[in-house]
Amino acid sequence: MREDRKMRKVVLYTLICVGVFCQLPAICAAFDSEWGRLIYQKDSLYHRILVYKNGSVVTLRFGRQPAVQVQSQVDLNNLRRDMLSYTKLAFCGLLYQEQPKRVLVLGLGGGVIPRKMHNYFPATVIDVAEIDPEILKTAEQFFGFREDDKLRVHIADGRMFIRELLRKGPAEKYDIIVLDAFNSDYIPFHLMTKEFLEQVKGVLAEDGVVVANVFQNNRLFDAELATFLAVFGRCQVFVDENPSTNAMLVSPGPKGQTLAVDEAVSRARTLKHKVDFSFDMVGVASRLRPNIKPEANIKVLTDDRAPVNQLRTQQRRKSP
Amino acid sequence: MRISNFGFKISLMAKNNLRAVGIILIACVCGWFVMELEILGVRALSPYFGSAVFVVMGSVVGVFLLSLSAGYMLGGWFSQKADSPGILGSGIIAAGLWLFVMPAFIELVCDGMYNIGLDEKWGSLLAAVILFGVPTVLLGTVTPTAVRWLTNQVSDSGLNAGVVLAFSTAASFAGCVVTAFYLVLVSMRQTLRVSGIVLMVLGLVVLLQAITRGGKDAGR
Repeated sequence: MREDRKMRKVVLYTLICVGVFCQLPAICAAFDSEWGRLIYQKDSLYHRILVYKNGSVVTLRFGRQPAVQVQSQVDLNNLRRDMLSYTKLAFCGLLYQEQPKRVLVLGLGGGVIPRKMHNYFPATVIDVAEIDPEILKTAEQFFGFREDDKLRVHIADGRMFIRELLRKGPAEKYDIIVLDAFNSDYIPFHLMTKEFLEQVKGVLAEDGVVVANVFQNNRLFDAELATFLAVFGRCQVFVDENPSTNAMLVSPGPKGQTLAVDEAVSRARTLKHKVDFSFDMVGVASRLRPNIKPEANIKVLTDDRAPVNQLRTQQRRKSP
Repeated sequence: MRISNFGFKISLMAKNNLRAVGIILIACVCGWFVMELEILGVRALSPYFGSAVFVVMGSVVGVFLLSLSAGYMLGGWFSQKADSPGILGSGIIAAGLWLFVMPAFIELVCDGMYNIGLDEKWGSLLAAVILFGVPTVLLGTVTPTAVRWLTNQVSDSGLNAGVVLAFSTAASFAGCVVTAFYLVLVSMRQTLRVSGIVLMVLGLVVLLQAITRGGKDAGR
């Protein structure tokens, strides 16, 4: 009889332990502090989508590992507020091309860049290519993103989308192309190679500009810079204040021109009177570093050889 | 008298063992290249058909399984032929040659899929069939033939099949991991060409053995 009771106790405790163990992720999630409470998670085909909410600020992350950077952040009470410093840098293309009629963005995330671009230039056609349909749903549900007849999201691999445009023949080209389809722990190699950038060049207007969001602290930066130089001939860099984070590579099309820092600043001064930016455009212009050169022995990335995930883990010798 | 007889037996066993090791080695090399080709195949197609996991991966892995299935069937049939070493040697040379020239055709084939109006699903599947089908079928013929060569009596057949499959699959594992971790860091085209040369050399060795031994009990 006694044995029986003991047995029951053991079974009960075991069940409780197993129960707690199974719920551990949910319990941990409730205490995720840095970005607030976890309000949504979804395993899509490509990402582990996590949405956190802290007051009115929502944050998008792909995966829970501490090293994984924040993908997107929005203050729902003030959609104009700039949360992540890289998003304003992404608008540096406007210094080269003030009145874009058509813009292409690869990679949606929380939709901040295309949404702001749409606000600044309501008449501009903005196409976004995003591979993961769940990201679009998440952006619409939690990040105040809306599609309309000028701002359209295409569910497609960025390279396939551009290829399809090229196949359809000479439609109108894009004045600004923003490449932002990377996250901090996985980089699709086929969106970084010379062959890909040649295709991008094919849909870029002659006086247009390509802006690529990259990380500035590893050797992949040098390889990308070398690849941009190989394809476009010219490439300038806008660096974030924080040297361990993002930088923008900017390459103007064949009829566009490169800028000196004072030119960029004076263009920013004129531009800010025309467009009601939520951030300091002059500050963005002052982040221009026109003369950064890639490491001497770095190889251009090609479809044949693109060890992007290895280069990403190698520290850059010196920060730009 | 007895001693010399024993010595003869030993030398025969050593000779047979050497032959067995050689046969298993052929199966291993081919097992390695099947998986190397599979990993490089995914890498080669994704610039053309995108990184949608379910498209390129599914196509390439599916085509490899189907080709191996055909290769096993064909290999089983070859193993019954009198000059199976000759056939196998030529097959391996052909697979090597295919790998050697394939880099020149990747773009042509993949672009061709769009030109004939296929989407990335059927396009990547057909491209994988065209590019990787033939060499994988040829490499698949090695396993059953190797089992046949090792087997002198019926009671050994299961053991021999087990040994060949175990070693060649372990080699496939190695080929898979080494390619995915290290060979992708160097040029894909160069890797394919070098692999092609290695296979051609291996095939040539098998073929020469077949010719010098004059058929039936050759192999190595």
